[in-house]
Amino acid sequence: MPASTVNRGRAWAVLALLLALLLLVGCAAPSRLAQLPAELPERVELAATPFYPQTGYQCGPAALATVLGAAGRNVDPAALANEVYLPGRQGSLQPEIAAAARARGLLAYETGPSLSDLLAEVAAGRPALVLQQLGAGPWPYWHYAVVIGYDKVLGKVLLRSGTDERQVLRASVFEATWHRGGNWGLVLLEPGTMPAQPEPARYMSAAAALETAGNPGAAKVAYAAAAGHWPRAPLPRLGLGNLAAAAGDWAAAERWYRAVLADDPAQAAALNNRAEALVRLGCPDAARLLLQQGTVHVAADDPLQPVLQQTVRDLSAQAAAVPAGAAVECTQFTVR
Amino acid sequence: MRNRIFVHALCVALLNLASPQAAQAALVGTLQAVEASGTRAQDLAIVNSALAREQVRGQMEAMGVDPSAVDARIARLTDSELRSLADRMEQMPAGGDALAVIGIVFVILIILELVGVIDIFKKT
Repeated sequence: MPASTVNRGRAWAVLALLLALLLLVGCAAPSRLAQLPAELPERVELAATPFYPQTGYQCGPAALATVLGAAGRNVDPAALANEVYLPGRQGSLQPEIAAAARARGLLAYETGPSLSDLLAEVAAGRPALVLQQLGAGPWPYWHYAVVIGYDKVLGKVLLRSGTDERQVLRASVFEATWHRGGNWGLVLLEPGTMPAQPEPARYMSAAAALETAGNPGAAKVAYAAAAGHWPRAPLPRLGLGNLAAAAGDWAAAERWYRAVLADDPAQAAALNNRAEALVRLGCPDAARLLLQQGTVHVAADDPLQPVLQQTVRDLSAQAAAVPAGAAVECTQFTVR
Repeated sequence: MRNRIFVHALCVALLNLASPQAAQAALVGTLQAVEASGTRAQDLAIVNSALAREQVRGQMEAMGVDPSAVDARIARLTDSELRSLADRMEQMPAGGDALAVIGIVFVILIILELVGVIDIFKKT
């Protein structure tokens, strides 16, 4: 057998092995775009989304400027670089991207991990910032882009990406790269607007982070919208109570905490904070009674148990310190 | 004499540190409650967030962030974000990373591209 045939045979064997490996990894799975829920429109393109071509490694600032612009905040990507770009990593990190949006009074909501969660937001008119991993194996290549549409029939996803104003990507390729990026998607909402498919924990952590960003007014609007959407959920009303407390309105705070406990007496945070509110209102006896009756409902392995126990200890320590002539009638808190 | 002044100043500083926390220590914050309502073990939350803040500050400066911008960037992050950054700032995916394309790597990438696993080459 001539040497060249042997070499060619070996080359084919290597290629076949590579292909077999790829199939094993499951990369050739068909796109799920055709299986999207029927209520999502067949074809969406948010053509009015602004476009900021990426310069250098700055796809983070460019993609962020794109979604900020779509949310009505026109910011120059070069200015955003000072807020999110890390020269040492030649890139930008997800928490800083979200924080830059929050600092502009927007709710930075992480979409769910499924393609339908992501595209439901796009269908609702919100371009979605995504993280893709475009490389493979030992050569990772992380990239931020913005999904601006899709086409169920053609099986395509549309993006603003890098220097490409209208990238048309096979849905299977988008899914694979998005999946390797951790299925991370971010949409920016005006506080008061709910996501297309809101999930309570992710929504509330985005809303509460607005407080960290120094935007309690925006957080309040976001909590109120959540309390309207999930009337029995504890966290939105706890948040409203905490904002009232921070503003010094302990009577209003006490009412919010009480409402949470009426629906779910096992809520340790509301129980703890209501006791504190009662003390602030000059009713430490009512606070002690509340804790006596309330702590039995809280699970023994509740992560907030240490805080609750500390409050119980603090209250019994200051037993004698009852302010004379309390401003409110305390008996109203001890009768249901 | 100088020592005594220093000690007095230190005492005043420590008292100032303690007083504002005492006023709010008893309330469970909304973010704290959100994290506690998650299913994850919460030993994580015990990690001192002040320590995490200092770690992130040091790493940001080492990564070339303008020192005058570091404070503002850190102030925006929530405690849980600071903790995850302090732990994994070197490993977290940084969108925008460079791609080293040399020889054989390039060939493999082209094969992967043709098979449809990756999409890094511009098509027109």
